[in-house]
Amino acid sequence: MPDTTLDELLARVALGDRAAFRKLYGQSSAQLFGCCLRILKERRDAEDALQEIYIRIWHRAGSFRAEAGTALGWMLAIARNHAIDRLRQRRPGLLPEGMEAAEILADEAPNPEESVLASSEGRRIAACLQELDANRAEAVRRAYVEGESYLELAERFAVPLNTMRSWLRRSLIVLRECLSR
Amino acid sequence: MSVTSNDSLLAAEYVLGVLPAPERVIFAERLLHEPELVQEVTAWEAQMSPLVADVLPSPPPARVWRGIERRLFEPAARSYWRWLGPAIAVALSVVALIGWMDRAPQGPLYVAEMTSDEGVRLAALYDADKGEMRVSMAGAPPREGRDFELWLIAGGGAPISLGVMPREGQAAMPIPAELRALVASATMAITDEPLGGSPTGVATGPLVAAAPMVRI
Repeated sequence: MPDTTLDELLARVALGDRAAFRKLYGQSSAQLFGCCLRILKERRDAEDALQEIYIRIWHRAGSFRAEAGTALGWMLAIARNHAIDRLRQRRPGLLPEGMEAAEILADEAPNPEESVLASSEGRRIAACLQELDANRAEAVRRAYVEGESYLELAERFAVPLNTMRSWLRRSLIVLRECLSR
Repeated sequence: MSVTSNDSLLAAEYVLGVLPAPERVIFAERLLHEPELVQEVTAWEAQMSPLVADVLPSPPPARVWRGIERRLFEPAARSYWRWLGPAIAVALSVVALIGWMDRAPQGPLYVAEMTSDEGVRLAALYDADKGEMRVSMAGAPPREGRDFELWLIAGGGAPISLGVMPREGQAAMPIPAELRALVASATMAITDEPLGGSPTGVATGPLVAAAPMVRI
């Protein structure tokens, strides 16, 4: 099976197929490790994270649903979530003081019923980011790719913390609207 | 799916990873019992994931894979007893299940023995001749207000619910005729679900344990 897709491999991993798991690792670990490195910056920490991530993938493969996205997307989500959890634990001092609760802008958002993002055609995110000011698109990218926190973003863009959060939330509302078109 | 607009934004912030630690923990906890929120997170993840194209792949060193194999497939000597304990208990419950049958089985028997790190021990015994599954549940019970649900996974299809497990002890679970041909090559799995089982017919909770059916 030279061209087995990640989706097929993951389905077999769900059944406890170790050979499929090895192959899945071979075909996806460079991508996931790249992500861990970008977020965690430290190589040894990224290696530990990657090990933890594949152990989770092995245990949770049965919960992957092809309708909800691709196998790679599913694995990336596990990888990013784990890397970010690690990052936030490593630097507890980054817990910002005085950040307002999550209600900023909640009322201004358009039609909650239409927040159906399920159509996951993917590439549209790049086009939708272009609808934002360059700075704001950069903030979304930095958060996703580099794992930067609100505090780091606020420092980078030299704005107060709460301003940063309302910026990003506004950007997300624009993105959501654009993505659901 | 209809989460509030604020929840949708929180889901996006969670996916981006920008939530401050306490909010992140609170949100992750909500994900355990709010399937609609999980859907929202999954949708944002799918939309955002192309951004990863900005990340250069980087092959990890070989020691990472060796560590994964060691941790998953080579139980350390130190944890031998921890591993053996549940195995013996499951073996005993299989013997009990066989003893529980009202007559010697005519057809082949299949068994799946599932144990979790959290101490859940479960055996499922299938009598192909009668088309009946007997299950035995021991060890750590589900949390208060939760149930374990048994699923059959076969032929690359979505898991099929066989019903809610007893909290303790044994129970019979009849297998519908159309599923019987699948059982021999199936994997059995249990998930952690709301009381009475998944409300949607699709597994919503985390996988507790899984094992393939083996002929005995």
